[in-house]
Amino acid sequence: MSTRSADTRVVLLQGTLDVLILRILRLGPAHGHEIIKAIERSSEDVLRVEQGSLYPALHRLIKRGWIDFDHGTSENNRRAKYYRLTRQGRRQLDVETTKWETLARAITRVLRPA
Amino acid sequence: MKRRRHLDALDDDIRDHLERETADNIDRGMTPDAARAAAHRAFGNVALIKEDTRAVWIPVWVDQVVQDVRYAVRTLRRSPGFSAVVVLTLALGIGLNTGIFGLIDALLLRSLPVRNPQELIALTRIQGNQSGESFSYPQVRFLAEQNDIFLSLCGSSVDTFNVGPPEALESTGGAWVSANYYETLGLVPMVGRLLAPDDDRPGASPAAVITDNYWARKFGRDPGAIGRPLLVEGVPVTIVGVSPPGFSGASVGNAADITLALSVLPQLKPERRSMLGVGGRWLKVLARPREGLSRDQLKGRLAIVWAQYLSSTVTPQMSPAARARALSPTLDLRAGATGSSPLRGQFRQPLLVLMGIVGLVLLIACVNVANLLLARAAARQREVALRLALGASRGRVVRQLLTESGLLAIVGGGLGIAVASFSSGMLVNLISSGADASEAIALDLGTSWRVLAFTTLVTVTTTLLFGLAPAFRAAVVEPNLTMNASSNRVTGSGGHLASALVAAQVSLSLLLLIGAGLFVQTLQNLRTFDRGFRHEGVLLVGVDATRAGYDGPRLRAFYQQVLANAERLPGVTAASLSSITPLMGGGISLPIAVNGQPVAGGEIHGNLVAPRYFETLNTPIVLGRDFTFRDDATAPGVAIVNEAFVRQHMPNGSPLEQRVSVVGSPRELQVVGVVKDAVYEGLRQAPPPTVYGAYFQGGTGALTLEVYGAGSLAQVASAIRAEVPPKLGGKLVKIQTLTSQLESSLVQERLMATLASAFGALALMLAAIGLYGVLAYTVVRRTNEIGVRLALGAQRSQVLGLVMRDAARMLALGTAIGLPAAWAASRLVSSMLFGLTTNDPLTIVLAIALLALTGLLAGYLPARRATKVDPLVALRCE
Repeated sequence: MSTRSADTRVVLLQGTLDVLILRILRLGPAHGHEIIKAIERSSEDVLRVEQGSLYPALHRLIKRGWIDFDHGTSENNRRAKYYRLTRQGRRQLDVETTKWETLARAITRVLRPA
Repeated sequence: MKRRRHLDALDDDIRDHLERETADNIDRGMTPDAARAAAHRAFGNVALIKEDTRAVWIPVWVDQVVQDVRYAVRTLRRSPGFSAVVVLTLALGIGLNTGIFGLIDALLLRSLPVRNPQELIALTRIQGNQSGESFSYPQVRFLAEQNDIFLSLCGSSVDTFNVGPPEALESTGGAWVSANYYETLGLVPMVGRLLAPDDDRPGASPAAVITDNYWARKFGRDPGAIGRPLLVEGVPVTIVGVSPPGFSGASVGNAADITLALSVLPQLKPERRSMLGVGGRWLKVLARPREGLSRDQLKGRLAIVWAQYLSSTVTPQMSPAARARALSPTLDLRAGATGSSPLRGQFRQPLLVLMGIVGLVLLIACVNVANLLLARAAARQREVALRLALGASRGRVVRQLLTESGLLAIVGGGLGIAVASFSSGMLVNLISSGADASEAIALDLGTSWRVLAFTTLVTVTTTLLFGLAPAFRAAVVEPNLTMNASSNRVTGSGGHLASALVAAQVSLSLLLLIGAGLFVQTLQNLRTFDRGFRHEGVLLVGVDATRAGYDGPRLRAFYQQVLANAERLPGVTAASLSSITPLMGGGISLPIAVNGQPVAGGEIHGNLVAPRYFETLNTPIVLGRDFTFRDDATAPGVAIVNEAFVRQHMPNGSPLEQRVSVVGSPRELQVVGVVKDAVYEGLRQAPPPTVYGAYFQGGTGALTLEVYGAGSLAQVASAIRAEVPPKLGGKLVKIQTLTSQLESSLVQERLMATLASAFGALALMLAAIGLYGVLAYTVVRRTNEIGVRLALGAQRSQVLGLVMRDAARMLALGTAIGLPAAWAASRLVSSMLFGLTTNDPLTIVLAIALLALTGLLAGYLPARRATKVDPLVALRCE
């Protein structure tokens, strides 16, 4: 587990987790635990994700048709569910990424005027 | 769906996730226990996450409803006694309501199973302040020709046919219809063809259409039945086709299995030939107007052609009064979708009143259930408090409690449908009682969407009625107060609401009891008032010799022989013959002249009788003499009139010096006697002015033999049955007692008296149970208090008085509310009463006494239990 003190960690904004999942799955199919680990790793442990909240998010994305899943076998020969991006999800990721970048730039400009 | 199945695997997915995280943690050097704990910490609240995930797929409320229902089922199963009482009470209440509504639906609301029934209209004839739906055959034919108003128009009437060979006659319901009957209704045949205009021409060979039901019953749906002859009234009639399933004629309540064209009536029933003339008004008219005509346009055009028709019936010889009368009827129309029914006039109001009564019974039942739930809600305050303390919202608690009520109501409603089909069947039997098998009422009581919607509405209303109050009471619980209270006591009075509800029950029961009393007394009055004739010990034997081919002098000789034989039978005190018998449901009326001057006020009721008619029926002759056998065809014409006739039409001089005649007939009849007034057609109608003629002076038509005997009528009946029918070749004899004829004219009154009493008793019982329940609960709640009182020296009688005072208070309050309510409600049924007014003191006093007695008895049981409280035990509980 992380050794950083709690106050430097950021609680995820509502909906952000969905985008992160789509981003991770862009790299290829993954099962639930792998997705969480990937988010934690790539955010260098800054993002504090309650691992369980992954599941409602996954179901939400499936319901919207942005991701799908297949049954597969993981590294140590265990059965696992592999989630993957659908074509629709891929498009959505692009939309969301653009939206996010615009928002981030705007906020940055407001908070740190050049 | 794959994705939904995904949800079912959620548990596995989460377990898998946790195992991987635990394994990772172990890899990082944690002990297995610590690794597992850390994994769970990182994951979060598993139950909450599962719920959130489910919520993605299933709306939260659905989940909560399922939860509530499950919980409700568990709770109700924990107290089976309570649940059973509630469910049965509701089943009875909802069932009775559905049953009566089902009958109302079948009789008054349901459309005929024909094409676009909403387009049909029915014609009504208005004359003065009277309206009727009957038209003559010439009128129907004339109206059917008005093609610029109607696409088609028909007249029809139900009848009973004797079907089959003489040795095996079967009485079968049927109908006489005019040419365009099936065309107007827009029906297509099952097989064969339906009646067409060609079948309704004078001299047409008799053709019959049978119903699908009759086809199945008698022919096993054999297509070969078409074209086969059927013996109707001894005449071969060809079956030409079968009407569509579900259709049984345009008259609701009378199944017409065999339908014949009107013009063949003279071939089948020659003695009723005259009914096709201008004088016979007996056909109900249904029509399909041309499209695009508004109601007003329709009425306008109809008024024009109707006036033309009426003026064509006026002749120059008519007196001005007769002419004005002939021209006076006007036409009106009403929606014809529901066809017509002779039962409607008779049972419409009774059914609506009964609907109101069972509605009130259901209300009382609801109050009982509400009280039971209130008592339970009080007992469950701690449970509710706990749930509130644990964070449940009050709305959620109310919803939970309402779910329980709803579940009870739904089970009750489901059982109620069974009660309903039983009760409407029973009702139909009650209505049909006294009728012959062929005249039995045939109503389609199959469940319709309207009945189902009604049941649903009643069930939902019921739930809200009995569920809301207890639910809200439970939800206003203050958690910390309740939790702090000692464990064997519950807080809050609860008593006020419960007492008020019981008082409401008492008032409703009083209302129903008074209603029941009024109807029972009405029936009693109608049975016992002096109607001017006796019915006990009188046997009626319908002897229709005209159908066996007798007529003229031979007919009269035959009847004289029948009468002579009957008088000789052992046990017979007196016997006579007459055309009309009291309350047979019909009569003769003719325009009469006194001393050559037509009497005012329309037609006068008449009857043709044999000597000793008045003696047989015990109608006193107040003046003059009876007919004798010397008053025969060769003797001068004689007549007897009743006192009402003398009062209204012979104001001057002795009646015995005056003559009466039928208007238009040259034959004058000398009045030889005056008899006391006797009821003629209906018990509720005052005896009308009546003229009696002597049958043996030249009468025609079928007669009924009246036999009065002091002994056993059964013996007389079997003697007559052995003797008369062989001469008539079969079943042309109908035997019944005058008492049963009287009773069958009282169907409506008996129905109301029986059902109002039954429902009144039910209401009384429910109110008594309610009173008992509330008092019993109060006694249990006040056990401690009573114990203290007894310990401090209160007498047992004082404790008894304590509880009985409660009972008396509720009864008094209920009576105070119920009396004015009953006074107002009984106004609605005043037209159904006979021989008493709505505020009949005896009825009201009896109802109050019955209610008070039952109520105090119901209160006495818990009161006595209160006196048995052992102070030591009660105090030890504290």
